[in-house]
Amino acid sequence: MSKELNLWLDDLLKDIKIIQFKRKNSRRVRIDIAPEALPALLELLQGRASYVHLSAISCVDWIEDDEFELVYHVWSYETNSLVSAHTRISREPGVYLSVYDLYTPAAFFERDIHEMFGLYFEGSPDMEKFILTEWNGPPPMRKDFDSEAFVNQTFNWEEYHPQWLKDIEAEGGGITTRPEDVR
Amino acid sequence: MRPENYEAIKQPPSNEFELNFGPNHPGIEGNYAFRVKLNGDEVLSARADAGYLHRGFEKLMEGRLWIQNIALVPRICVPDPVPMEVCYSLAIEELCGLEIPERAMWLRVMQLEMSRLAAHLFAFGGHAATTGMYTPMFWGVADRDLILDRFEELTGGRVYSIYNIPGGVRRDMPDGFLDRLGTLLDYLDSRLPDYDSLFFRNQVFIKRARDVGAMTQEQALKWGVTGPNLRATGLAFDVRRDDPYLVYDKIDFDIVTEPGGDALSRNLVRRAELKQSIRILRQIIKHLPSVKGAVRCPIPNPLAWNVPAGETYTRVESSKGELAYYVVSNGGDKPYRVHVRGPSSMHAVQVLEKLAVGSRLEDVAQIMFSLDACPPEVDR
Repeated sequence: MSKELNLWLDDLLKDIKIIQFKRKNSRRVRIDIAPEALPALLELLQGRASYVHLSAISCVDWIEDDEFELVYHVWSYETNSLVSAHTRISREPGVYLSVYDLYTPAAFFERDIHEMFGLYFEGSPDMEKFILTEWNGPPPMRKDFDSEAFVNQTFNWEEYHPQWLKDIEAEGGGITTRPEDVR
Repeated sequence: MRPENYEAIKQPPSNEFELNFGPNHPGIEGNYAFRVKLNGDEVLSARADAGYLHRGFEKLMEGRLWIQNIALVPRICVPDPVPMEVCYSLAIEELCGLEIPERAMWLRVMQLEMSRLAAHLFAFGGHAATTGMYTPMFWGVADRDLILDRFEELTGGRVYSIYNIPGGVRRDMPDGFLDRLGTLLDYLDSRLPDYDSLFFRNQVFIKRARDVGAMTQEQALKWGVTGPNLRATGLAFDVRRDDPYLVYDKIDFDIVTEPGGDALSRNLVRRAELKQSIRILRQIIKHLPSVKGAVRCPIPNPLAWNVPAGETYTRVESSKGELAYYVVSNGGDKPYRVHVRGPSSMHAVQVLEKLAVGSRLEDVAQIMFSLDACPPEVDR
């Protein structure tokens, strides 16, 4: 049963012009689709093809193309196969539609992406800060966020050379490689 | 939230009050806060507050070599670290098109099941503690320690073994390891009746846990519940069987389900999975000596390893549920993006918030532990 259903998906999706369909193996399908058509595709997959489990929404920052890639991984418990729907939206203003009305787990992933990448999902129920509660900097998972530069700007380096370390160094021990030599 | 930033909420006189669970081990394996609003001892609303274990794993991984990240990934889930290593390694192998030797696959499955045993012993012990029974907790943790001894012998590390690398495993087993593992399994098998009479068939536990934190199968599917928590609602789904990886399709095991969907059912599923994991490990002990050959395939110089550009989504069944890694490479020596989909990111946030509402205060910790969530998977 499962194999037939799988092939049925192949036939159905290969006919649609706006999507690029690629079967990786018997359980993995990759679909590339324009952002305006993605919610409709997910609705079709969920409502007509039993892809009821949203496994994850992944976000990739392709800074050279000035685009965010969103990947919706949906799994079917009936055909035991995973469809990864890829779509690309422009980095500015970085706004996209929520799929919370189709998949409840989307709320968590959208909140996470909003926090880490600064993307905004219209219609998502909860866009409050979650993990980075007291963070005021830019979204840290973006590629243009430089962790080291941020630390140097935000915090002060402090000399730490206590007496006990001086005692050890007097006997020839202690830190032999200084941090500045490593860098 | 830091204490100096906390402001008391001003509100008109009412019977409702707020209570903070956590963030120090509130009935969950790690630092995680849970804010509940109460009327008497009934929970009116609940709100999860994560971030206490955020170390920015996904960002750190982008700045380190492919091979260096092997030392980083097991830290994402402390009680069950092996699936993290295996899942990340599987992703790299898929991107590079590496065929790992069969012996390495069996060794990986062996560790995965050992890790599952250890995690389930930890989970039911912890659940017992939330119902006021501390003896099962000490028993569970003590027996888990015996499994960690075997991990130490096999890999050199007790908790974070860092034994699975892209291309296979680091080295072969020591001599006589399977005999000692078999002795351990005999011991654990003989302990199961003791666990039953102490905990799983104990009326104190059954009466406390029945109908607590119950969800139906439709709700579980809608909320993205996976793993033992999903099987406790009666759906026989397991990534090991339905999306097989490594050599799970050559191994004989049952998928255990329970109909209840409550805290009791979730624990009974874990109890039955202890038995199944022992069964799988016995098959491995029988079969592994006949699988000869290398334990890893040749890999490029790991310090100058450019993984071909591409993306992959690999999934394994951890003791908590569906664990997945989305790994993107742009052809460089470091990952372009790694997204960790931990099963607890559903269980500990949305599901927990929903199940806690309407329950009683003394059951909140029980619901948390019965979902067996692992906060670092949420925070990453």
